[in-house]
Amino acid sequence: MKRLFITAENLCILIIKLKRDCDEFIAPKKEHLDDIIFGDTKDDGGELLDYEGNSIISTRAFFLPQTEPFFEISSAKNSDFVPIEDKKKRLFYGIRPCDVKALVLMKKFFIEDGFVDIPYKQKVENSTFIALACAKRCLEKSFCHKMDAGPLAKEGFDLQLIPVSRGYLVEVGSKKGSQIIKKNKKLFSNTKTQDEKEIKQMIKNFAEKVKKIDYKRLARIMKEDKVGHKIWDDLGLRCVICSGCITLCPTCSCFSVTDRLNGDRGVRFRYCDGCPYVGFTKMAGGSIPQPLHKDHIRRFFEHKLNVDVERYGMPSCVGCARCIQTCLGNINIQKFIDEVLAS
Amino acid sequence: MTNEYLPKKAKIERIIEETPDTKTFVLRLKDESDGVLKYKPGQFLILSLAGYAEAPFTFASCQSKDGKFEVSVRKVGSLTNALHQLKEKEIVGIRGPYGNSLPLDKMKRRDLLFVAGGCGVAPLRPLIQYVFKNRKDYGRVEIIYGCRRPKDIFYKDEIKSWQNNPNSDMHLTVDEPDESWSGACGVVCVLLPKIKMNPKTTMVFLCGPSVMIKFAIKDVLRLGFREQNIYASLERYMKCGIGKCGHCYIKGKYVCLDGPNFSYAEMKKLGIES
Repeated sequence: MKRLFITAENLCILIIKLKRDCDEFIAPKKEHLDDIIFGDTKDDGGELLDYEGNSIISTRAFFLPQTEPFFEISSAKNSDFVPIEDKKKRLFYGIRPCDVKALVLMKKFFIEDGFVDIPYKQKVENSTFIALACAKRCLEKSFCHKMDAGPLAKEGFDLQLIPVSRGYLVEVGSKKGSQIIKKNKKLFSNTKTQDEKEIKQMIKNFAEKVKKIDYKRLARIMKEDKVGHKIWDDLGLRCVICSGCITLCPTCSCFSVTDRLNGDRGVRFRYCDGCPYVGFTKMAGGSIPQPLHKDHIRRFFEHKLNVDVERYGMPSCVGCARCIQTCLGNINIQKFIDEVLAS
Repeated sequence: MTNEYLPKKAKIERIIEETPDTKTFVLRLKDESDGVLKYKPGQFLILSLAGYAEAPFTFASCQSKDGKFEVSVRKVGSLTNALHQLKEKEIVGIRGPYGNSLPLDKMKRRDLLFVAGGCGVAPLRPLIQYVFKNRKDYGRVEIIYGCRRPKDIFYKDEIKSWQNNPNSDMHLTVDEPDESWSGACGVVCVLLPKIKMNPKTTMVFLCGPSVMIKFAIKDVLRLGFREQNIYASLERYMKCGIGKCGHCYIKGKYVCLDGPNFSYAEMKKLGIES
C-alpha cells in the first residue's frame, strides 16, 4: 500500500478542514479522571491528536448505542410507526486498529450477512473513519497483535495515520480516503526510507516474542466440545452478571426492543442486551432454556472464538482486553484461549 | 431498501375464544399497498403492539386466498394480556413472515404423524390444514393431541373434521379429565403405541412444551421412527425475527433464521433435545 507523509502541524490544518464537512467530529478526548472517551469535538477542539492507550468505551457505542430511538409512535391505537433516521455525517478520528477491525466485523454482521439492519447501515454509510495505529501496546493485558487486530489496521478505514518521529504516515483505505487526500494535496508529502524503517521497528517491538493465536485450531476444539467442563464451571462461578464485558466489547451486537408511551404517542427503542443476563433467553411462559451462568459465558466465548471463525473466517475477539479490565470475577478471555490451546 | 423493523398494519377481523386463556385472532393486512401476506406452514410472524413492543407468534392457519391469517395467543405476559383486551376492527403491527417452513416436498406421498401438546397444536395447524387441502398428495395421517383439561382443547370444531378425514386418525388425550370426558387420559406419549403407521417411512412433526418434545422424541425413536424424519418446532425467545438481536441463538444457529423447525438430526448437532 502506498503511503504518504503529513506533519503534526498539517494534520491540525487537515482536521480544521475536515470539521467543516461533517456534522460531528468524533475524536478521542480526556474526560474527568483522565479517562479517554470518544466524543464530538467539532466545536470545542478538545480532540487529542495522538494519545496513549485506548478509549474506555469503543466506537461501537455510536452505531449500536445503549439506547437508540428506533421509531416514533405517532399513534399507538393505529399502530403508526415512523422510523427515526440518523442522517448525521460523522467523521471518526483516531480509532484504534482493534476497534476498526471490530467495526469491520459488525458491518459484516449487520449489513452484509442476511437481512440488512437499515438503522445501522445508515450510520455507517454516513461515516468517515480515520484510524490511528498504535506505536505501543495500550495495556499489558491487551493481545490485539495475537488476534491480527493491531498495531496496524488492515481494512475498514478511509485513512490510517501511523505515528513516526517526524509526524504521521498516511495510508489510504478507500475512495473516500483518497478524495480527502486529493482535496488537501498540499498538506501531504512523500515518505522517507527512515519512516518505513521506523514502522518496521515499531511492528517488531510490538510483537516481540509473540506467537499468533491459532484461532482455527481453537475454534475446532470449541466446536468439537473438547473444552474441559472444569473450565466452563470455573467461568460460571466467576461471573457476577455485572454485564461489563458485553457493554465494553466492541463486537457485541445483541439487543432488545421496548416501547415508551405517553398517552397515545411514544417512542420504540432498541437497547443493548446480552447473553450474561439470566433473562436474556427467558420466554413469556417463564421458561429459560439456558439458566446456568456457565452457559452464558460459554455462549459469549463461543460466539467470539468459534462461530464467527466459521461465519467470517476470523474470530470476533479483537484482543482489546476491555472485558478483562472490567471483569469483577477476573474472567480472562486470553487465559481461556491459552488454557484451551494448551490442553 | 425497506426497514425490516417497521411493522405493517393488520386489522383484527374476528376474535375467537379458543380456551379460557387463549384467543385466536383472525387478521388481515390493512393497507392495500401491503398486498396479501404470503407465508408457508411452519413460519412465524412478529406481532407488535405499541406500548408493549413485539413478540413472535406462529401462523395458526394455512395461507388463504382472501389474505386472512390466524394467530392463536395464550395470555402469559404483558403483551399477550394487552392483546387479549383488543376488540375486533382494532389495529396491530406485524412483521414477517420469518423462519423456515416445514419440508413440504419431502412430505409428499409419505405417511404423516403429528404430535401436539397444549398450544403446540397452533404451529402444526397450518401444516395439517395444508395436508388435508391437498389430501391426495399424502399417505396416512394420524394426529395425537394432548391437553391439560378438556376445556383447554383448541379448534374444537375443526378437530372434528380432522377426525372424519379418510385414511386418517385423530387421538385426543387430557391430563386432568372431568365428568364429561370419555376419551383417553394422560400425556401424549401414552397414545403413541396406538398409531398404525410404518415407522420406517412415516414423517413425524412435534410441537409442544419442551419436556413433552423431549419424551415424545424418545418414544418415537423407540418405536422405530427415523431421526431424519422427525421434525420439531423449537421454542426460543425470538425478538427481531431476522437473526440480529441474538436472543434465539444456539451454537451458531439462529432459531428465527435457521428454524424454528429442525429435524431431530439437526437438533442433535446443536446439542439440544428440546
